[in-house]
Formats: sequence, C-alpha cells, structure tokens
Amino acid sequence: MNTDTSRERQPAARNRDPADLARIARSLRRHVIALVAPTGQGYVQQGLGAADLFAVLYFAEMRLDPADPQWPDRDRFLLSTAHNTAIFYATLAARGIVERDLVDQYCQDGSVFEVNASERVGTAIEATLGSLGQGLSVGIGMALAARRRGSQSRVYVVLGDGELQEGQLWEAALYAGSAGLSNLCLIIDYNSMQVEGHIDKVVSVAPVAEKFAAFGWAAEEIDGHDIPALLTALEEARGRDRPTCLVATTTAGKGVPSLEGILAHNLKLPAEVAAEAMAALADAEERP
Amino acid sequence: MSRQTEDRASLEVLDFNARGASAATAQKHYGEALLQAAQADDRIVCLTADLTLPTETDLFRDQLPERFHQVGIAEANMIGIAGGLARSGEIPFVHSFCVFATRRCYDQIAMQVAYPRANVKIVGVIPGLTTLLGVSHQAIDDIALMRALPNMTVIEPSSPDQVRASVAAIARHEGPVYLRLKRADGTEVVGDPASDFTIGKMRVLREGQQGLIVACGMMVYIARSAADALSRDGIEMTVVDMATIKPLDPALVELARRMPLVVTAENHSIIGGLGSAVAEMLMENDVPSKFRRLGVRDTFAEGGTTAFLFEKYGLSANALVATIRQALAQPAP
Repeated sequence: MNTDTSRERQPAARNRDPADLARIARSLRRHVIALVAPTGQGYVQQGLGAADLFAVLYFAEMRLDPADPQWPDRDRFLLSTAHNTAIFYATLAARGIVERDLVDQYCQDGSVFEVNASERVGTAIEATLGSLGQGLSVGIGMALAARRRGSQSRVYVVLGDGELQEGQLWEAALYAGSAGLSNLCLIIDYNSMQVEGHIDKVVSVAPVAEKFAAFGWAAEEIDGHDIPALLTALEEARGRDRPTCLVATTTAGKGVPSLEGILAHNLKLPAEVAAEAMAALADAEERP
Repeated sequence: MSRQTEDRASLEVLDFNARGASAATAQKHYGEALLQAAQADDRIVCLTADLTLPTETDLFRDQLPERFHQVGIAEANMIGIAGGLARSGEIPFVHSFCVFATRRCYDQIAMQVAYPRANVKIVGVIPGLTTLLGVSHQAIDDIALMRALPNMTVIEPSSPDQVRASVAAIARHEGPVYLRLKRADGTEVVGDPASDFTIGKMRVLREGQQGLIVACGMMVYIARSAADALSRDGIEMTVVDMATIKPLDPALVELARRMPLVVTAENHSIIGGLGSAVAEMLMENDVPSKFRRLGVRDTFAEGGTTAFLFEKYGLSANALVATIRQALAQPAP
C-alpha cells in the first residue's frame, strides 16, 4: 500500500457519472444567468457554452482540496480567456472554493470578482490572465515546476479559439511540445466566436488539432458537450509522454434553446430572457 | 573530422556585442554570482532565450542543468513561464538583452511578474548605447518602462563588485526586480571590496560643495572622471552612485538641498529614467537647486563603439564637464 498520502489525496471523490455531471453543468448555467442578468455585464454565451468543460474539469478530473487551496500537489487550472468569468466563478462557488455570497457580488464596485479574473480574488485564481495569449506560457512554468518537484500535479489551461490568433500562444505551443510536457493539458474552447463575429470571418485558425500535432502534441477534436467523451479524453491525456490539446467544439448559449448558436460576444439579458433561460435550465425533476 | 572542418573549428566565433578577444575571456562576475546564489538557494532557476553565453548563464547551465531552461527565441513566452514557475515557489532569473527582456514583453511582465509581485528577476545585458548592432539592440527606454511598473525594483550596478553584491541582494529580496547589466568585456577593474550594495541605498563616492552628480551604471565611472577633471580646476563635486533607480533613496533629498547644482547621468533616454526619477523626487520635496540631465536626448542612435556613441550623443566625461561648467556659469534663478 502506498503510504504517501499526499500523492494519493483526492479530497472529494471525483464524480464521474455523466448524468450527475450534466446536472452540475445545468446548475452552473443557471448561476451564469443569475450573475449576468442583473448587471448586464459578463459573458453569457461563452459561459453557457463552456459549462460542460468546467463541470468535467472541476468535478471529475482535477485533484484539489477546497480546504487547503495551497496544497502544493494540487492540479492547476488556468483560464487564459479570463473574461469568461461567470462560468468560472460559478464553478469555484459550486466546488466550495470560494463563497457563493461573495461571488454574487460579481461586478459590483469593490468586489474582487471582476469581469476579468485576477489574483485579487486570492488563491482561487492561480494567475492573472485575460491579456490574451499568456495562459499557456504560465501553465508551462507550473508544469515545469511540478516536474522538478516530482509532483503528480497536472496543469489544465483553457484557451479561447480566437486567442489562437495571439503569437505568444504559438511560442508556448512550440516549447511545450519540444519539452514533452506530459503533465500539461490544453483545452481549446472552440465556440467560433470572437468580438467581431465568427472566427472564420476574422482570421481563421483552423485546422487547430493538426497544428498542435505538428508541434509535438497529442491533439484531438472533441465535442465539448459530450461528457463521457471528455472524461475519456482527459483520462487518456494522463497516460501520455507529450502534452495534450483537446479542441473542444462548443455551442454558444448551450442549454438555452433561444440563445443557442447566437454569436454575441457581450450579450445583455433582459429580465424576460433571463427568466426564460432559467426555466429552460431547470432540472427535469424541478419541472412542473 | 575532415581537415576542412578541423580548420574551421579553430576559427574564432564572436558576436557583434562581444568585441575582441578580451570579451571571450572576461571574468563572468554576474554568471559566477548567480551560480553562487543558486547553489545556496534551491529555489533559484535560470531561463535564457538563446543568449546563454552573452548573459553568462553557461556557468549555471553546466553546473545546474536540471534548473536551467533554454526557452529559445521567445521572450514573451519566457516571461510567462517565469510567472508560472514563481507561482509554484521557484525564483526564476530570466535573461536576454535589455531591449528584449523589457520592451518586447512589457505586457507579459506587467501581468505575470509585476501585478502579482511574482518573485521573478529580469536580467538584461547591453544597456543603452553599447552595441554595434544599432537601434534594434539599443535599450534607451528600459529603465523608464520598468520604473513605470508598480511593484518593480530597478537596479543598475556600476562595478563587478556591485554586480556580485546586487545578485546576492536580489536573490534574497522577495519580489520582482529588473537588473540592468553592462556586458562584461574583460576591461572591468575589480574594485575595492568596500563597494557595498544595499537595495535602495545610494553610495556617496566623493564629496564636494559645488554640485552633485547622480549617476548609475556605466555613467558612474564617467561621473568620477568628470569630477576629477573639474577638481583640477578647483570645482569640487559630490558624486553619488544611484545603483537602485527604483525605489530611489530618499536620502538624496537632503544631500541635494545643500547643493547649488544637481546633474544626473545615465546611459538611457533623459525621458523616464534616472534623471526623471531624481527630478520628480527633488521637485516634490521643494529642492531649489539648478538641475541638468545627461543622457540620450530623445533620439534613436545607431550602431557603433561605446566610446564613439558616448561622444556623439553627449554621454562622455567631456560632455558632463561642459554641462556642469555651463550650469555653474549661469546666474542662479
């Protein structure tokens, strides 16, 4: 029996049941609506789209301890597109890492829960990102440090597809492939949306998986809402000798039929749309 | 090995910033000090962007390879990696030429080093007008850029002893530092062991009543030469080595208050660097002295030898003497 408990610690049992994870994702989506609707500030479409990724990462995949946020062997999560915070904060609250009451002060003057996540929040935010293109580099530093410590800590970086237009990202991709950083997993949230519209109408980044594969990564395309497929892909990533890139196709506004597919970078939510969204996201057992 | 390859292997390999054979054999004061600090502190790691030899980090690479990261020609990525390493408890020293270590990755430094007060030390070589390569490699705004960042400490040592002492000091200092170094070329004179160094403390090198020269880096030597020349004509100047440009030593205020003239000297633009920092502090403290700045006067220069460029752009001892004579000759306001 392995007596090294720090290496085996998994404080909360990882939930790998797809139906449970889908329910968690739906609850996260409701929180996204609740955060954004009153202020009119934030990222609704991106948050709804990424909810399944967040549910799988925080409730199934990552090893962390909400009671000991600085546990050195914790897995690291970096949201390089740090403005997609409604879903990020909702997840941190649901996982018990930050207090829900504080998260609900989102966007109020003086609140540490700003539109762009920063280290003002404290240890729950591993790095101040949002100046696009920087997250993968920071993740590489964390992965290198974990490797030197002999830690099993893994680093998960979520990038937006539009962010791939930043040159620094390719510097980092080149380095991570060259260094064989097997404890690094990149997830591209491929929602096809950037400020000026559809990514292919601005500057196309496709094909992404081929580009990463050419840089020495294991790269695959995946449906960002297929929870069993995400679980399998993340599991497989852990056994590799190379970094992994998952190009996860997501649908903007996922889960709310009237919002799905609307590529709106900053979507305001009138009260009636918010109410409709909440109804659409209600659990089956909660429905009348 | 073929005969031809053998012959070519004997050819001397130089770069445009290491002039002459003396550079190749120069004592690596910085590199030795960094290695020494790293041997004493396991958290110190070293990053370089394809400039191992010019940044003297070959010593580190050869002795502590498991803590040495060659990131290739990608400075923005290097700063991001350093930010990640620092957040995991390591103390990264990152290395490049001054221009690429600062201007090229300014936003990355702001977000991944300065804002989180990450324990990253940014080390640049080839400051100001000390390159044959020309404008692409001329760092005349790096002090200004780094000084503008909250939480950043900015240091430019003036001698091999100070280089060694500053490395030891910044390794102990918790927080971001920009260290600006003249590249060793073999002409360095190992100074007196008394040339101590404390972050944030100026050193008074000579005392005189007729004026004050505040200098940093390579300009300290020039300031001393100018003060010697003026002294031969009975003009006695105080010379201060201001190795820490940020935070600036507040003791400067009382020293300057007793002086009819204050002159700053820096191998950098007069905008935003040492001269600006000193002016801000003295004005805010109602110091009424005459004030002059010696430095690059809001212009880009070109490639050339340091002596040529310093003469052409007014950074020489002669230029400093002339500036002081002119200022003293003008009636007080």
